[in-house]
Amino acid sequence: MLTKFQAKLFFLVGTFLFSAVFLLLTYDSLKYVYSSASSKTLSEEVISGKELWEKNNCMGCHTILGEGAYYAPELTKVYERRGPEWIRVFLKDPQAMYPGERKMVKYDFSESQISDIIAFLKWNGELDLKGFPPKPEYKSSTQLVNAESAAVVQPEKFKQICTACHSVGGAGGNVGPALDSVGKKYDIAYLQNWLRDPQKIKPGTAMPKLPLSENEIKDLSSYLSQLK
Amino acid sequence: MKYKSQKIAYWFFATCMLLLSLQIVYGFVMGFARMGFDGLHDWIPFNAARATHTNLLVVWLLTGFMGAAHYIIPDESDREIYSEKLAYIQLISLILVGVVSIIGFHLNFWEGRKFLEIPRPLDYLVVVNVLLFLFNIGMTVWKGKRYTTTALVLYFGLFSAALLYLPGMIQFNSQTVDSYFRWWVVHLWVEGVWELIMGGILSFLLIKLTGVDREVIEKWLYVIVGLTFLSGILGTGHHYYYIGVPEYWKWVGGFFSMLEPLAFLAMAMFAISMYRKSGRNHPNTIALFWTIGSAIMSFVGAGFLGFAHTLPQVNLYTHGTLITAMHGHLAFWGAYAMIVFAILTYAMPLLTGRKLWNNPTGLFAFWASNIGMLGMTGAFAVAGIAQVYLERKLGLDFLTVQKEIQVHFLGLVLAALVFTSGIIAFIINFIRFGTPTDEALGAEQASGDISLARRS
Repeated sequence: MLTKFQAKLFFLVGTFLFSAVFLLLTYDSLKYVYSSASSKTLSEEVISGKELWEKNNCMGCHTILGEGAYYAPELTKVYERRGPEWIRVFLKDPQAMYPGERKMVKYDFSESQISDIIAFLKWNGELDLKGFPPKPEYKSSTQLVNAESAAVVQPEKFKQICTACHSVGGAGGNVGPALDSVGKKYDIAYLQNWLRDPQKIKPGTAMPKLPLSENEIKDLSSYLSQLK
Repeated sequence: MKYKSQKIAYWFFATCMLLLSLQIVYGFVMGFARMGFDGLHDWIPFNAARATHTNLLVVWLLTGFMGAAHYIIPDESDREIYSEKLAYIQLISLILVGVVSIIGFHLNFWEGRKFLEIPRPLDYLVVVNVLLFLFNIGMTVWKGKRYTTTALVLYFGLFSAALLYLPGMIQFNSQTVDSYFRWWVVHLWVEGVWELIMGGILSFLLIKLTGVDREVIEKWLYVIVGLTFLSGILGTGHHYYYIGVPEYWKWVGGFFSMLEPLAFLAMAMFAISMYRKSGRNHPNTIALFWTIGSAIMSFVGAGFLGFAHTLPQVNLYTHGTLITAMHGHLAFWGAYAMIVFAILTYAMPLLTGRKLWNNPTGLFAFWASNIGMLGMTGAFAVAGIAQVYLERKLGLDFLTVQKEIQVHFLGLVLAALVFTSGIIAFIINFIRFGTPTDEALGAEQASGDISLARRS
């Protein structure tokens, strides 16, 4: 068996050798990071967004690049998933978007701070992450019913905000019900009232009162009412 | 104890128990929040509870390690601590930094990087504090009558832990680089230098408790810490799969992660075989329980459960889910919490002169806390596996999945109650020992320390 001297040698040589390899790989990795596309898009906004991210310990609930706590959603691809408009509306009043659900602290960010955070999230979403986060494998897709024959095209607001929770023609979120045939159940007047204040019509619903202008409400309602 | 100044260890241990109690309180706050009872949201939002919970863990373990050093180093070096006054100043300043940080967390004042949440200005105080500690312990080793491998490994571990705190203090603009160097602290601590500290304490305890020859134990200590660094340094790569660095980290990280359990397996086999070699039994069997238990549980929690999700193919799905919390809980408990409990259980009778070993409370503390922690790990595992399938495979929305797995957190809280009852029993025993006295000087003979008894 080994003598104590040999054991000591094993420890010292092993540690020294693998530390040296680690430093070498670190040098190479940094070279890779600083010459990749992401380092060119690292703007002032992204950096100040990162500072806000750290100053408020967002990692204490969320994960980004899969790192952080597991109490709130993974945000690496949130820009792709929700889009900037949705994130903006959400950050202004997080609890209004998910009434009665798991709470996020309301931070009272200014408009420019929100823009910085969005820039930071966008930058992270564009990193080459070697396939993380994985795309769901068995996600079911509902076939679209009538959305394509609809006369009124999908309003921009719908794509920015509503699709985060609802789907039309199989595209969109699965938090709220699919809206493929919502026009069969409700007319324009009902939908307008609903969008103005969902809580008033159905107290306790998960649907938040969204910051929509009267025009946007009209556009959305006329679009939705023809989905039959 | 052999030296008066070893009494300092007691005050570190007492601080340890206090911080651990607080950590458990914050654990419950989070457990209830996950069950949907987030009543403290306005005062203790989840991120504050989480930062407090993990930082208290780090601080109480470090306090425990420092306490262990204050007990072990004088014993190993055959002299009093270099400066008792410095030791007390250091302990008090450590507590102050801790308290200020924790209050800061509740006022949205932090650095916001997981495990390194302590605000930057306080980081400098931490550095000064640890330098004080290292100076004091280092001078004790330096001026000591003998240099033992156990003492050197322990000191080298503590020294490297301080050194590796520094990369975490540099600021980077890119999240990728930030993450890269954050793991230099976090991974190289828990899967590198902390294992040296653990190995040092383990070997000290085995020398004392089993009476096996020092030469034999220290030889294996070298092999084990050698294995730790051989696998652990490049094993850092398992944190680098998906942060935007080159593809080769998947191979490097994956391969060396597969070797990481070896160090823990060696540690467990080493502890058990040394125990079997011991001719006579030490009367403080509970200290032996904690010592052997730590070696075994660290293999299960850190080695096996760590391996269970570090392969890149698996990690792609489990990365950033509750699976990490499952592994983290048993790993920290087995490797570091239990070794602190072991040195505490061993040292308390010697510090106070009270032979409170092998009583029912102490035995209950061991079994309840271990069974409770295994239950908690199980609850996290079931919740984590369900989360991975529903969220990552089926593509359900995050919050929908969280509602589905809420029930497992009821299981978690129930197991945590069993765990807490064990910790309460341990603390009751700790209090019953009372404070250390000089009358306990030279009580080794009576304590049944086989090796010491044989030598003197």
